[in-house]
Amino acid sequence: MVNRRSTGLAALVLTGMVLTAGCSSSGSSGAASTGPGGSAAPAGTLTIGSSAAPPSLDPTSSPSAAIDEVLDYNVYQHLVQLSPNGQVVPVLASGYAWSADRKTITFTIRQGVKFSNGDPLTAADVVYSIKRVVAPKSGYPYASLMGTLTSVKETSPTTVAVTLSQPDQEWLYQLAAYSNGVILDPGAVSKIATGPVGTGPYEYKSQVTNYSATLAANPDYWGSAPGFATVIFRYFTDPTAEDSALLSGQIQVIDDLQNPADAAQFENNPSFEIVHGPTDGKIQLTLNNASGPLKNVLVRQAISDAINRQAILATVGGGFGTVIGSDTVPGDPWYSSSYAQAYPYNPAKARQLLTQAGYPNGLRLTLTLPQPYAYATQAGPLVDAYLKSVGINVTDKVVAWPLWLSQVFEGKDFDMTIIDHVEARDVANYATPGYYWNFAGTSRVAALLNAGNAAPTQAGQVAEYTDALKMITADAVNVWLYNPDVITVAKTGMKGLPTSGHSESFNLEYATTGTVPASATAQGFSS
Amino acid sequence: MRWLLPVTRRLGILAASLLAASLLVFAILAALPGSPAQVILGTQATPQSVAQLTRQLGLNKPLPAQYLDWAGGLLAGHLGNSYISSQPISGELGPAVAVTGPLILGAIFVSVLIAFPLGMASAIRSDKPSGTAITAIGQLGIAIPTFVVGLLLTKAFALMTHLLPATGFPGWQAGPGALRYLVLPAIALGIAEGAILLRFVRATVAEVLRSDYYRTARAKGLRPMRALWRHGTRNILIPLITVLGLEIGGLIVGAIVVENVFVLPGVGSLLLYSVSDRDLLVVQDIVMLVVAVVLVLNFLVDVSYRFLDPRVGGERA
Repeated sequence: MVNRRSTGLAALVLTGMVLTAGCSSSGSSGAASTGPGGSAAPAGTLTIGSSAAPPSLDPTSSPSAAIDEVLDYNVYQHLVQLSPNGQVVPVLASGYAWSADRKTITFTIRQGVKFSNGDPLTAADVVYSIKRVVAPKSGYPYASLMGTLTSVKETSPTTVAVTLSQPDQEWLYQLAAYSNGVILDPGAVSKIATGPVGTGPYEYKSQVTNYSATLAANPDYWGSAPGFATVIFRYFTDPTAEDSALLSGQIQVIDDLQNPADAAQFENNPSFEIVHGPTDGKIQLTLNNASGPLKNVLVRQAISDAINRQAILATVGGGFGTVIGSDTVPGDPWYSSSYAQAYPYNPAKARQLLTQAGYPNGLRLTLTLPQPYAYATQAGPLVDAYLKSVGINVTDKVVAWPLWLSQVFEGKDFDMTIIDHVEARDVANYATPGYYWNFAGTSRVAALLNAGNAAPTQAGQVAEYTDALKMITADAVNVWLYNPDVITVAKTGMKGLPTSGHSESFNLEYATTGTVPASATAQGFSS
Repeated sequence: MRWLLPVTRRLGILAASLLAASLLVFAILAALPGSPAQVILGTQATPQSVAQLTRQLGLNKPLPAQYLDWAGGLLAGHLGNSYISSQPISGELGPAVAVTGPLILGAIFVSVLIAFPLGMASAIRSDKPSGTAITAIGQLGIAIPTFVVGLLLTKAFALMTHLLPATGFPGWQAGPGALRYLVLPAIALGIAEGAILLRFVRATVAEVLRSDYYRTARAKGLRPMRALWRHGTRNILIPLITVLGLEIGGLIVGAIVVENVFVLPGVGSLLLYSVSDRDLLVVQDIVMLVVAVVLVLNFLVDVSYRFLDPRVGGERA
């Protein structure tokens, strides 16, 4: 029963609890003691804020990038991996060589590597891991990329030979970028969904679903010791809560700031640093090439001319990114900034094209926006305004993500939509008949891309891919808006963070509060 | 044993309500567009992979079969496995309840702490400015949305003064210090609730003040608070408990907002994630849990009247 006296007592107790408990600091980040240029014992805890929690712990059965962010390159490693600069670098392979006919690649497996459970890495483990991708019912989300694999075998205790049915320029890149390349311990695979075991600098410790994932330094790591004893990923759906956590010291790094506009509050603050670099994403206005007026290439070209992509990047992306004009981003071997010039902002030309197409009085279209993506819901009204100014009246439709998947992606029931295609080098979507934007020229693009992948030199591949890109740009299949940067905000003094989003992993191999080796900064880790 | 029949009737109503709720929840979620298989595979989905995963998850079975699988499992105590992570749901729900349970208890504690003394004071001083002031502040408490209160508390106590943590929850394995992380959320949730309860307390106390037995007690020489305490308490408690029982549902819904603002891994967050991921079994299990909690609590409130109010003895229609 509450009477005046016990009310006062309760208030006193509550205040006392708050005051005494409030004395300890929250969110420690330890400093690793370093000697000049030497690797130090891992110490302290690094807490990283991120926006999407991993739905499961198995990258070999789910395409979710949130799994790769935590586990890829940090716990699991590949034979070759992507550096932040987008280069393929050898990791578990100490070297590799293509045969003369470019159909067989022989990897030399690095010696002295152990999984975090103590098992040694053997050539047999590599063969097992690659075979697992193409096994029937394997469930690997990118298994189709291994379609040209004919055999993989151990040619000596330290070498593995992989044979393809034809030369494939993309094969090594894909092994680095996707979960196809993850090297597994056959003895630990039965627990792959609850206890991932890999060769990386960190080992998996625990997780709280949708809330946090914890890694610990791998004491048997074959490379230089990782910078922290513990790494915790904390997940925030609310960007404001994430910013507060960084400002109050509960986390030391935000990986992939969701609202580019939030960067402003950290920009002039000496306690924080902003690191940003390109991703493989293409934020685009997808046009349903089979829907009504959009069947006409002139209408699609008119829409391309009507939109000021630079302004959208400045407003929605905060200027963090690059305007693009086709399905390619800076970092692709076939990238050229000329594609962005194909449809410069020209509303007069847009109106002219519409009249030519038979719509002198304009037309009506719907724009479907996926609700959780701020870039889409912010860019939508801007796109509407640009199109309105050339006579196209647009009605917006905001849908939750599962509905976007079922209505737009599977059902193809849409006119236009705004979405970020995040997969790297995914020009092959334009070669897939029935892919949701209903492009009519898929067989021509498929022929070009196949020729490109089978080309004996990269120059040959680039030539074929360029032809394909020129075709889809001329056809204005979609309106490519911009390639967004990944924005990382870190407490000043945090170094060795990846400076780009080219791989889906948040690569912590060199993350430290001490010094970062020159070889790492050359690869694109922050100093 | 006079109470046996009415209590048994109430239990029967409870069971029937739970059955009806389960059918309703299942039907609504089954009608929701967007399949779990599609969400799991995302933009990497092909028609074949979606079909394969749908079969694997058992979602191609006819709806009545799926309902019976689920409901039967619940009765046997099995919550099923999450579609997204394939791990047992009880493993995810257990720790979540361990966060939300204490949060709601804390919120009830805060709300009673606010409502009881302030409600009484404002009723006793209803003709004075201080009474009106308390009423006005109470209005504010109802009007300001919970998440705004949460953000204001975070700014004041976590960002500007570092007294309490801004977000998160380290888990109970971190020891009783983990309570600090629930202080601000419980206050945010409790303020709105407290403001609502305050009005009920004030109305009930006002009624007691007008009653004969109170006037008699005062005539006998007792001071106002003592008279209220001695003779009015039970009459104040009954409506209060009734309202609390009805408000539990509101508290649980409010917890969803608070858990989002303070990033707590509780039942509210789990529910939000599961809805947007179409992890339907988790949503069904959580909704049934909430329904069961509300129904059982109201059942207990009903039964408690017999002990609090001796006039309630015969059969209630």
